Amino acid sequence: MTILTAEGLTVERGGRVILDDVSFSLDAGTFVALVGANGAGKSTLLSVLAGLLKPDRGGVLLDGAPLAGADRRELARRRAFLPQNPRAEWPISVERLVALGLTPQLPAFGGLPGGFEPRLTDAIAVCDLIPQRLQPATTLSGGELARAMLARALVGDPEVLIADEPITGLDPRHAIDTVARLHTLAADGKLVIAAVHDLTLAARSATHLMALREGRLVAFGPITEVLTPDLLRRVFDVEARVSGDGRETLVDFLAPAV
Amino acid sequence: MTPSRWPTAIAFLVLALAVAASLFLGRVNVSPAEVIQGLLSPGASLAGLVVTELRLPRAVLAILVGASLGLSGAVLQGLLRNPLAEPGLLGVSNGAALGAVLSIYFGLSQAFPLATPLLGLVGAVGAGAMTFAFGRGGTLSLILAGSAVSGLALAFLALALNFAPNPYAAYEMNIWMLGTLSEKSWDHILLAAPFIALGLGILATMGRAVDALTLGEVQARSLGIDLDRTRILTLLGVGLSVGAATSVTGSIGFIGLVAPHLVRPFVGHQPGRTLLPSALLGAALLICADIVTRLLTTQNELRLGVVTSLIGAPFFFWLVLRLRKVAP
Amino acid sequence: MGAAAAVLLASQPAAAAPSGYAKPQRILSMNLCADMLLLELVPKPRIAAVTYLAHDGAEALFPGADAGIAINHGTAEDIINLKPDLILAGAFSTPLTRRLAKAIGAPIVEVPDATSFDDIRRNLHQVGAAVGEPARAETLVARMDADLAALAALPARPPVRVIAWSGGDSVPGKETLSGRIIEAAGAVNIAARPGQTYGAIDVEELLAARPDALLYGGGGPLKASVRGEEGQHRVLRRLYAGRRIVYSDIAHTCGLPQSARSALDLRRALDALPEQRVAR
Repeated sequence: MTILTAEGLTVERGGRVILDDVSFSLDAGTFVALVGANGAGKSTLLSVLAGLLKPDRGGVLLDGAPLAGADRRELARRRAFLPQNPRAEWPISVERLVALGLTPQLPAFGGLPGGFEPRLTDAIAVCDLIPQRLQPATTLSGGELARAMLARALVGDPEVLIADEPITGLDPRHAIDTVARLHTLAADGKLVIAAVHDLTLAARSATHLMALREGRLVAFGPITEVLTPDLLRRVFDVEARVSGDGRETLVDFLAPAV
Repeated sequence: MTPSRWPTAIAFLVLALAVAASLFLGRVNVSPAEVIQGLLSPGASLAGLVVTELRLPRAVLAILVGASLGLSGAVLQGLLRNPLAEPGLLGVSNGAALGAVLSIYFGLSQAFPLATPLLGLVGAVGAGAMTFAFGRGGTLSLILAGSAVSGLALAFLALALNFAPNPYAAYEMNIWMLGTLSEKSWDHILLAAPFIALGLGILATMGRAVDALTLGEVQARSLGIDLDRTRILTLLGVGLSVGAATSVTGSIGFIGLVAPHLVRPFVGHQPGRTLLPSALLGAALLICADIVTRLLTTQNELRLGVVTSLIGAPFFFWLVLRLRKVAP
Repeated sequence: MGAAAAVLLASQPAAAAPSGYAKPQRILSMNLCADMLLLELVPKPRIAAVTYLAHDGAEALFPGADAGIAINHGTAEDIINLKPDLILAGAFSTPLTRRLAKAIGAPIVEVPDATSFDDIRRNLHQVGAAVGEPARAETLVARMDADLAALAALPARPPVRVIAWSGGDSVPGKETLSGRIIEAAGAVNIAARPGQTYGAIDVEELLAARPDALLYGGGGPLKASVRGEEGQHRVLRRLYAGRRIVYSDIAHTCGLPQSARSALDLRRALDALPEQRVAR
């Protein structure tokens, strides 16, 4: 069953083409790693997929219905979006920050209904933030804040999770944990699409790979098929080596391509 | 994690005390027994008249105006994610003052009593809209635009003063702009209350939106918040409430800055939870400032706006210094 | 305030009116009160200009008297353009005004504020002599004295407690012309604190003082309150309905012969007040 379809997405800014006629279909139960050089258009693509940016041409369908006319709160309940470098503007506690992820489900007034308490605790526990539960978000380390934001995205139990560089800045332990969590989400039947730079981690946990170069989709498919040194050369202009497979995959970047 | 009701309860208690003090204190000695008697059977005695026709409307108006300022400040600070925001900063107060002064200046208020609050509203909403229109592109942009709009309104105010029909009229306009609650009656409340109530009602619904904005605009939008609608409703709410309030009482500053700031640490810094306590505390602060103007006997009347400025401006300095230390 | 003598600058002596003294033909008044005196003393052709505030006062006292007369705003340009041969100014004229007057050879007569009937007499004499109409000034003084005599001849009455109220920020006290007019009319000014001119009074204090009547001077040129009638608190409107006496403020602000008539009118209005006092 397809969930998210992109049709001919084109975005132009100031005369420059950021996305050029990108089309694909994403199914539930997949974890898509989105890769590309800086400025390739990854963030723009994720924003368009999340329904937060209107493409100049083309559109996105969620279960066949266009995002363009969708009800905001309904959409917010079904998909969670994590931008790059998220920050908290006020020193609220981690607990309250994570609870903000429940906003689409809450009525206009009032605090958090009791029924949501367990989900909140679960999300905090899953992201390993129990000790920081009452700590002001502005005092967290970069990694802790990133995990708190992920917990915020997960607490609403979304069908689709769209994340822009969720593991950038995390230490190895937490990077591995986060990627594992995304993998589990996909295994549970959700759709996860995340822009990443760490290809080794992506190769070990993601199910699919999508590659952009200068706004164009140059590859999309199961990661085991698509991830090749040839693709890496085309996308990153580097010589690379892909060795091992499954949980042992290793992607080495060797030298700039000549 | 049920939100504690304490901050709201305490703010309400402080307000109740302030209202009581406001009824019992004044230039003329009215004993507590007479105050109670006056409330129960108004019109029967001088004390009764003083309480029901002077002190009570004054307290009610102070509540309406103080709540408008406090709530507007809280919503604006939440919307802009900046603890320095307040209606005055966005030019809304000066816009309201300009509208009201023009109404008085051209004698419209004498022809048509609703003219002053209505023109005050138009001035407030117009100034706010200009600020939002020119201030796209971040908080700094917005604050600068507000400064510019405020300056423009002040320029026209100065123009009106310049061409005042006679020196006494100029004096009166000047004095009016300093803000006062004295000589206000139920008539003034009837004029302004509907607009203030409407504005407050709109602002009270902004809780979820300002909470979500803690995560920044992108994440807030992803959570289903319509930012354009939020901005317009905020503008309307602030314009209606602060506009009507200013057109009745003149310019009163700093309440909208101070009240949310005092409340914030007690509600875990969560913007949505500052709304109601800020309204209550704003009302209480204004009543206290008003009591000060009534108890200090001076040759000329000590104006309310002067008291709030004398207390608020140093507070603003302190706030800026503190933020310099804390902010990146 | 009453002790200040008139200051006369430049060549012409103006205290006496010797037979060879040529009457000024282009008199410029830069002060409202001087305007009023001038309009009463001198025929129109000899008036170069009065101030922009003069019209409302003239309307109240002698309608039409200022018709066709140019107006000035008290600026240096006015002096240069109008080329007066006599300038009437208030008690504080600027150094620039004095220099210009000297340059064009026009004497300046500074007319001090009047806060008593004696002051009014003195001003009338002073201005009358300066403009060359001492006889007319005497007539006006006589008229004023007649009004005062008529007032004194009326039977004494129990004093009525009043206050001149048009909003609480500026209430005339004891040492004002308004205060003296109220006294002359046989009323008691409850805002009369010793030594005080104009002061602020709270509505609460007003209610507690329980005056028998309110005096309202709104509508005059200097007291043209932008607040107007809605500046009246509704509790005062209710309590003092029918006990409000309206007077023309010009005769209270400026010391004029009409100020005595104003006191007489006030006395008559007080006599006409309904007997029933304000409810306790």
